[in-house]
Amino acid sequence: MKYEVISGRLNREPGTTVDETELAGLNVDALIAGGHIAAVEKKKAAKAGDTTEEKEG
Amino acid sequence: MAVINLTDASVTINSVDLSDHVQSVTLNYDADQVEVTSMGDTSHKFTGGLYNVSVDVTMFQDFSASEVEASVFDLVGTTTTVLIKPTSGAVAADNPSYTIADTFLSNHQPVAGSVGDMSMVSLSFVGGTMTKATS
Repeated sequence: MKYEVISGRLNREPGTTVDETELAGLNVDALIAGGHIAAVEKKKAAKAGDTTEEKEG
Repeated sequence: MAVINLTDASVTINSVDLSDHVQSVTLNYDADQVEVTSMGDTSHKFTGGLYNVSVDVTMFQDFSASEVEASVFDLVGTTTTVLIKPTSGAVAADNPSYTIADTFLSNHQPVAGSVGDMSMVSLSFVGGTMTKATS
């Protein structure tokens, strides 16, 4: 899991990305709730030729 | 001798530098004294037991985004890391860092005070292990 620094109160520049291992010993949920970091969402790249579809019942 | 006037202490809670809101900070470090006095002794004897670490921080409350309240509220009932330095400068022999890991915050009073008072927050972190670094 990776997180983007979004506040200026951490010892890293806003906009930089940190790995969860760098946040060991910290309360990550509190950092997110406090507006200091945000989870970096993984963008799903469209795969050519991928025809898999979800089907109901 | 290089005495220090405490005007620039650095207090980082859960990796969030809240130094500019800190009014006072106290780091307590001691060890249990375990008595080992036995027959034949003529005075009490002690040995060191478990270490006790706690940090008391008083801060000016701030409800703005990413400030005191936002940074502290979700720490209640959990453990985190607190880092304290005598000054905000680089870690050195004359500016050691004290890192308290796995320290527990049991309570927080978001609003406290009388009419006309500054809104203050007093936090007491207890337990954990402390590491001192000088470089």
